[in-house]
Amino acid sequence: METLAARATVVPEAAAPRARRRRSALPYVLLAPAALVLALVIGYPLVRLVLISFQDYGLRALFSGRTRWTGFANYTAVLHGDEIVPMLVRTALVCVAMAGGTLVIGTGVALAMRALGRRMRTLVTFCLIAAWAVPNVAATMLWTWLFQPTYGVVNWLLRLGQYDWTAHTVSALLLVWLLVVWQSVPFVALTLYAGLSQIPGDYYEAAALDGAGYWTRFRVITVPFLRPILLLVTVLSVIWDFNVFNQIWLLTGGGPDGGTTTLVVWSFRRAFASQSYGQGAAIAVLATALLTALTSYYVRRLVRAGEAW
Amino acid sequence: MVRRVRPARVALNTGAVLFCAVWMFPVYWMVNTALKPTGDTLSPTPKFLPFPMSLANFADAVRKPHFADYLVNSVIVTGVVVTLSVVVAFLAATALTRFRFFGRRGFLIGIMVIQMIPGPALLIPLFLSMKSLNMLDTLIGLIVTYSAFVLPLTIWVMRGFLHGVPVELEEAAMVDGASRFTVIRKVLLPLVMPGIIAASVFSFIVAWNDYIYAYVMMKDQSRYTLPVWLASFSTNIGTDYGGLIAGSTLFALPIVVFFMLIQRRLVVGMTAGAVKG
Repeated sequence: METLAARATVVPEAAAPRARRRRSALPYVLLAPAALVLALVIGYPLVRLVLISFQDYGLRALFSGRTRWTGFANYTAVLHGDEIVPMLVRTALVCVAMAGGTLVIGTGVALAMRALGRRMRTLVTFCLIAAWAVPNVAATMLWTWLFQPTYGVVNWLLRLGQYDWTAHTVSALLLVWLLVVWQSVPFVALTLYAGLSQIPGDYYEAAALDGAGYWTRFRVITVPFLRPILLLVTVLSVIWDFNVFNQIWLLTGGGPDGGTTTLVVWSFRRAFASQSYGQGAAIAVLATALLTALTSYYVRRLVRAGEAW
Repeated sequence: MVRRVRPARVALNTGAVLFCAVWMFPVYWMVNTALKPTGDTLSPTPKFLPFPMSLANFADAVRKPHFADYLVNSVIVTGVVVTLSVVVAFLAATALTRFRFFGRRGFLIGIMVIQMIPGPALLIPLFLSMKSLNMLDTLIGLIVTYSAFVLPLTIWVMRGFLHGVPVELEEAAMVDGASRFTVIRKVLLPLVMPGIIAASVFSFIVAWNDYIYAYVMMKDQSRYTLPVWLASFSTNIGTDYGGLIAGSTLFALPIVVFFMLIQRRLVVGMTAGAVKG
């Protein structure tokens, strides 16, 4: 789920007098294909995910098609293991570190772009777009090469010898962090910069005439203007970074010794490596609930903003 | 504003150059590695310029077994997903902006909430459903999955653009005797072209880049898409880094070129949606 950018700040539409009020079947016909696809591929699986999380769904069920209800057994197994606490802490820390790093660097770059000359700005934009455009899997493969212990250029540049980044938890996390931040900064920086460039220049001039310094202008004009966009990119970053899978799976496989396994990776391992689809589903339900709780404030705001639809 | 203070300007520019160097380095290294002759890839002291230049790594990547299959699979899946999602989203957005009907608001809230659902969460039930429907290893399974994933956003984007087109314009055309279909084709379609482009770019990227769903659903090697092929490079016979990086470059190239071409629109489309809703 790439961008939700379009959902940002929903400006309430003035009672939409433009829409026709005539009753007819046409809108339903037009909407039917989309509704059908969404119901089949997202609605139904979502319901099934919850059902599976209450079933003993293993290899046998996979082949016989017969499943057994086990109540909360999957949840109990997941929540009472030794893994759950470090897993939650790790997931939270990784998510916060990635989102935080992305937002801080992205905001810094956006502000700097505003102050830069035209030519420098074009150069920065070019670099951002180049990094942004590299597909996820290609970037991850590139990372394995950059950080390759023997021939990787990073170890050579940093004089690290044959250091294996994936062999230690901290460096493995750093490896993933670097990749995710490298890929995510462009969206944040370009979106914020676009927001910045919509602030009318007169505001700054007026403030400067009143004797406001850079920081005062920043605080009084830039921050309030940027707040809705900043909120949007923050929520998006949290959602995306919570769900990072490819980068972790392909770089470290969740290792060393589970040191980079987050909830999403854990759910995948339980389901597809241990063939315990029930437990995998239970973890996915928990992860979804957790993410919903984290972002509910924003969702509520959006729904409220949509009252006027 | 900062022009008066010269040291600040110098610091700012230095910082910007430094940032560019760091951010561009991986991309530069990708191209540099891909263009080296095979022997130069694995040298203890890295070579920073790809001279003598060679396309051997590319030839190596392209000659891997099934490459043509993977390319065709990726192109088919991406092409169908883009077409399908744009058509379906256009119809839905027309309903949402041109009619008031029961369930309209519910549908809008629904597609917003759907976007909050983590993508990987649906992997397990979708895999199991596709399995019982015998749709694993079929391109149709992937196409339907990706289409559903991109629909909420494409509908949202198109809705934003359709909103900007005054209904009076269509009514005027209708008064002039144009049929509803003609109105859609001759009046509406050209005006929402930017929205269609934005939606296609988005669908294209999702379908072209996805790894996890294709990885889980495609068990038959000849059914892989390009991302799964790239990720399987290392497990074949050690890792052929030259070929891997050349393959990644080939895979990334269409998107990078495309992003560069539509650069301006990309940011505008992104934020136009964001700010105007």
